[in-house]
Amino acid sequence: MTRTLAMDSYLLADADSVIARARQGDEAALEALYRAFEVPVYNLARRICRTTEDAEDVLQETFFEVCRSIGRYREEGSLWGWIRTIAASKALMRLRRNKYRDTDELHDELMGHRKEETHLRMDLEAALERLPQVSRAVVWLHDVEGYTHDEIAGMMGKTSSFSKSQLARAHARLRRWLGEEVTA
Amino acid sequence: MTHLSMETLVGLREPGNEPGDAAAREHLASCTFCRAELERLHQRVARFKALPALRPARDRWPDVRDRVRAERKRHRARFAGLAGLAAAASVALAVGVSTLRQPSAELAPAEIEQAMARSQVLESALDRIDPESRVLDGRTAGIAQELEDRIAQVDRELQLAELMERQSRDAELLRLWRERVGLLDALVDVHVTRASHVGL
Repeated sequence: MTRTLAMDSYLLADADSVIARARQGDEAALEALYRAFEVPVYNLARRICRTTEDAEDVLQETFFEVCRSIGRYREEGSLWGWIRTIAASKALMRLRRNKYRDTDELHDELMGHRKEETHLRMDLEAALERLPQVSRAVVWLHDVEGYTHDEIAGMMGKTSSFSKSQLARAHARLRRWLGEEVTA
Repeated sequence: MTHLSMETLVGLREPGNEPGDAAAREHLASCTFCRAELERLHQRVARFKALPALRPARDRWPDVRDRVRAERKRHRARFAGLAGLAAAASVALAVGVSTLRQPSAELAPAEIEQAMARSQVLESALDRIDPESRVLDGRTAGIAQELEDRIAQVDRELQLAELMERQSRDAELLRLWRERVGLLDALVDVHVTRASHVGL
């Protein structure tokens, strides 16, 4: 049987055989999983976490969990979807653990408000990086990874309304920082 | 004219219809400003999706592999240790029952045996749950770790209790095996509750 999901077949050749061997604890198969999904997992982690060190730790934690839990993967969804959910949970856990940084971020934001008005145009990467951590996580998980507000709320331990309002506030800020605001 | 809020514009990108969507779409049909705003929102999201993938600076696979190997080793050692302990306790119990039959101590061996049997049932239940392969949140993992540490401590005390004089040994063994059963019960509960909570 060949895998039907494009993301998996694109990233992982002979996915079914690799998964079967990984379930038996075959180290080469586990490494093949790591090699196939290393970049998307790191990319997701880096977009949510503030530092490269945190993102690398999330990468490691994610694959440690994948290796431990591959026997539990039921193949009801795509392998990437399963790994991505582990990665997102680990990244959000890291974000909660580093909550104090959000306070710093808020401070930076208040202090940088005047500067923000003089720099009307930022590039997309810089604007994304400038968002408070929780807002950035919601933007990335919703707009790029395609999670619903209910799913994000579940992962964050918040309400769906919280996710929606974070997304709207983030886009209002991004519009301003990217110089996309127009007067009516 | 009042234009649509960012919250409404973001909501219009969601599949399905929310209360108020119809009015918002009606406004959108007649407002070039809001249509342009929604289009910019679409474009911004498209640009996010097109951002180049970021790559880790160093290979973390060796760290992952070493942790997996260490955990497998720990797992094997733990279960081998428990099996040995149960066997040793069975022998000690059999010797105690056959050689020294004091009326006051008659109940203890039977109760110890009962506690040991219960302990084995819980060990099997834990094996079926296969906690090593489950994803736990930080708090649950902390509780499970604490229980496992306490079980390991009880196991060490059980080994020491085997060396005691029979008179006090049985009472101590009974106390420890009961404590072990309680801890195992709690550990199984932690994993079962977690499993049902996340639908595993």
